[in-house]
Amino acid sequence: MSKNVLIIVFTEMRDKLRKWREDNHRNSEQIVDVGEELINEHASKLGDDIWIIYEQVMIAALDCSRDDLAWTCLQELKRQFPGSQRVKRLAGMRLEALEKYEDASKQYDSILQDDPTNTAARKRKISILKAQGKSAEAIRELNEYLEQFVGDQEAWHELSELYINEHDYGKAAFCLEELMMTNPHNHLYCEQYAEVKYTQGGLENLELSRKYFAQALKLNNRNMRALFGLYMSASHIAASPKVNATVKKANVKYATWATNQINRAYQVSYARCLL
Amino acid sequence: LSYFCLFHSGAYCKMLLHAAKYPHCAVNGLLVAEKQKEKKKDSHSTPILCVDCIPLFHGTLALAPMLEVALTLIDTWCKENKYVIAGYYQANERTKDFRPNQVAEKVGARIAENFSEAAMIMVDSTRFTMGCYEPILAIYDHHENKWKCRDCNVDSFEDWCEAQKITSALLEGRSYESLIDFDNHLDDLRNDWTNPEINKSVLHLC
Repeated sequence: MSKNVLIIVFTEMRDKLRKWREDNHRNSEQIVDVGEELINEHASKLGDDIWIIYEQVMIAALDCSRDDLAWTCLQELKRQFPGSQRVKRLAGMRLEALEKYEDASKQYDSILQDDPTNTAARKRKISILKAQGKSAEAIRELNEYLEQFVGDQEAWHELSELYINEHDYGKAAFCLEELMMTNPHNHLYCEQYAEVKYTQGGLENLELSRKYFAQALKLNNRNMRALFGLYMSASHIAASPKVNATVKKANVKYATWATNQINRAYQVSYARCLL
Repeated sequence: LSYFCLFHSGAYCKMLLHAAKYPHCAVNGLLVAEKQKEKKKDSHSTPILCVDCIPLFHGTLALAPMLEVALTLIDTWCKENKYVIAGYYQANERTKDFRPNQVAEKVGARIAENFSEAAMIMVDSTRFTMGCYEPILAIYDHHENKWKCRDCNVDSFEDWCEAQKITSALLEGRSYESLIDFDNHLDDLRNDWTNPEINKSVLHLC
């Protein structure tokens, strides 16, 4: 292969890894494939990028039970950044992957002793609880964490998911409300909130869910979940014996509109398929 | 009364491919069977053949609206193809957790309303290997509002050797990367939850 082609291949691989990092993609097998080759064949060309790539590849390797690769990456990072809390956390994650939860917990505790505000270590401790199936404890710890770090959106979202899995939809809704307040333009939070309200059930929650599905659509008119959700919630409201004729008529209108939009969306997608 | 449930190779392999595509998530989906024309006299000995599998969601399984959408759309598709929704499968998020939870029981019960011999299937991820040396499912039947576990072994398959060979081959070939579930369809309507490409690969390997 000519040198130019090799350079193109190398930059493509490095850019792929960067995109996956930025999007926080958990496509671990692909990251290991690309990352391992990049590290083995092109380490010298990566410059300072290599360290963040070692971190990314290590985490992906843990996901794929590639302890050999994870260990290699960890050693490189330990050598370059001795005494680093960030590397200590990675060592903890490796212990988690090996299901050595007590050792992992001790690792995170030692980080917190030096730096009690280290959010990463605290969140890993909560992940351990989750991995062990201790949902109630995980929820309790996460609530405590959020009292201190009230702006941590990742944590609010994780908490909403934990509540949904426990079928505590009211509390899940509260978490999503926090997220919607700080991210009013995020159509995904709106749509998830609508889904939680719909699942809670009852006429009031259905109407709220319809409103938030509609809001999500306003923010992103290609959100199919919001469109389907609008159709489902409006249909259920229209069919409810508890609504008066005016409300029924309005919701029939919304449901019909949603149906037309859904049909159009399918037609457009089939047309795109044929292109 | 125990209802036989036979798995076609394609149905089994799509369940495992779905679990393999999202190893860090819970996944669920539906199983469909061919609609029986009429109940035979000794119908209790006619096995239900699960001919296909429709992967539904990954991640959060406990929300209602998209599940209702999926059930409606897939029910329509079933009627067009003379199928019936005959079962539900789920693989939990944590590997060691293979008991049915509230979601599994609720969806299973909903399916059982329309198909009395519906089966609820839990995937046991602890025994999930690339070689697929043994069936890794637990089958639950609905009896008097309770779900009772029934043994799943090679007799639960139309042709276990074929199922094993095909599933193993598709796992090795990473076919799960192109498996489409209903969540993927909602992300982009062009994604086809009937998985025609995987169906072709299955036929090739038969």
